[in-house]
Amino acid sequence: MNKSLQACWNSFGQFAGTFGGFQLFSLRLLPYLPKAILRPRLITEQIYSIGALSLVLTMFGGFFVGVVLALQSYSTLVEFGQVDSLGAFASEALVRELGPVVAALLFAGRAGGAVASEVGLMRATNQIAAMELMAVDPLQRIIVPRFIAGVISVPLLAAIFCTMGILGAYLVGVHQLGVDAGAFWSHIQDRVDLFEDVGSGLFKSFVFGVSASLMGVYEGYYAVPGASGVSRAATRTVVITSVWILLFDFVLTGMTMPGV
Amino acid sequence: MSLLSHKQPANLVEIQNVSYYRGKRAIFDGLSLDIPRGKVCAIMGPSGTGKTTLLNLIAGQLLPDEGAVRFEGRVVCPCSRKRLYDTRRQIGVLFQDGALLTNLSVYENVAFPLREHTRLPEELIRQIVLMRLHSVGLRAAWKRMPSELSGGMARRVGLARALVLDPKLIVYDEPFAGLDPIAVGVILRLIRQTNDVLGITSIVVTHDVPEAEVLADLIFLISEGKVVASGSPADMQQKDSAMVRQFMQGLADGPVPFHYPGATYAEQLRAMSGT
Repeated sequence: MNKSLQACWNSFGQFAGTFGGFQLFSLRLLPYLPKAILRPRLITEQIYSIGALSLVLTMFGGFFVGVVLALQSYSTLVEFGQVDSLGAFASEALVRELGPVVAALLFAGRAGGAVASEVGLMRATNQIAAMELMAVDPLQRIIVPRFIAGVISVPLLAAIFCTMGILGAYLVGVHQLGVDAGAFWSHIQDRVDLFEDVGSGLFKSFVFGVSASLMGVYEGYYAVPGASGVSRAATRTVVITSVWILLFDFVLTGMTMPGV
Repeated sequence: MSLLSHKQPANLVEIQNVSYYRGKRAIFDGLSLDIPRGKVCAIMGPSGTGKTTLLNLIAGQLLPDEGAVRFEGRVVCPCSRKRLYDTRRQIGVLFQDGALLTNLSVYENVAFPLREHTRLPEELIRQIVLMRLHSVGLRAAWKRMPSELSGGMARRVGLARALVLDPKLIVYDEPFAGLDPIAVGVILRLIRQTNDVLGITSIVVTHDVPEAEVLADLIFLISEGKVVASGSPADMQQKDSAMVRQFMQGLADGPVPFHYPGATYAEQLRAMSGT
């Protein structure tokens, strides 16, 4: 019993240490943010590497989520004679919920893990130490551009995910299930509110982007040098970020849902 | 008078009574040594004696628990981040594997410190980079990526990068490890030439005795946290100390025992069989 309590206490201590370290790391990055804007090329390079290269996966995912959403909702909507609302239903679900969450989860898997591995490998092969010894601050040169690029990329990817999802729903709904094209688009125009729906989706994406990018650079920066340390950093990034995204989604949905 | 008042200390690096602990284990215990200007100094010692730790102390990567490390008479660490970075700009470090930035080409690796620390026009950067690459014999390899280089080539590119800001001190961490004889010869020549032609000071951390004897003006032998012997290569061969003889002649047994310390064979057999 004592051993179990001790193990629990140790685990709690480890968690508290990691969480505290993560918060301190986040605070350390703050003063670097304004300076990073002075070197936009470093950020655009990273937007290409972690954002643009995630584009195909995001578009593919968005399209098929939209297709499935249309197929699933059609059978319910047809019972109530509301098939014309298919576009509005798919759009609201995508813009408010599925777009930000699934795009962020895809980003965490594709880019978050890659950032953690890349930075961890730089640590393991002395590249970060070499930078420090060349009087170049690795936080400024390596970490902050990747963080900002992630924060910018996730909302853009979520917007592309939603667009592809609506397109998928349109193709299935209108061309296969026979929903009227005019009704499909006009219901979207009526129901989807720029501030409440698109705004809340973008806000969620921004929060998810901060979480995923921060966790990737943190895990990579403090990865234990070596193959197992780097792979552990990548795995932890994907797992912890995914849990955070789902938790934050619950909290943010409660905060932004009208009438809740 | 003004010349006298600006007289530089004779020793570029001074390590004074430095103690450094990793956990409870003392890596250095009152270590003192001076690196004179313009010399090639080899720091040698058995594996695990903290040679690389010493380099990290000199470059301010680690903070000594006691004592001080001085560069040009000024304490390296603790100090402000700005002053630490000012000091580091005057120190070039060549890592064992070169530590090249893997996403940059050879040219961009050498240009990296210039781009980070200066606002030189691209034309001038190009001239400096090509000059440095020429001096290590790799001008024609400027387009290659680090993954396309051999170990010796990577170290030569690392040396060109370490030299690009005209440092006063170059620190080499195990520069001969894992190289073929030709590459060792190339690196030996480059270290000596660089030191003499540019008038800089060099610290070479190594346990390759023949190379250190050819290259170094001064050898410091470190063991158990202290300098156990120092002098020119010829002096070191004449030392009576058992530790120095074991290391310089590569003897398998001596003050550094062949067997890992522990129970006797008979005691261990008894303990493991439970009798």
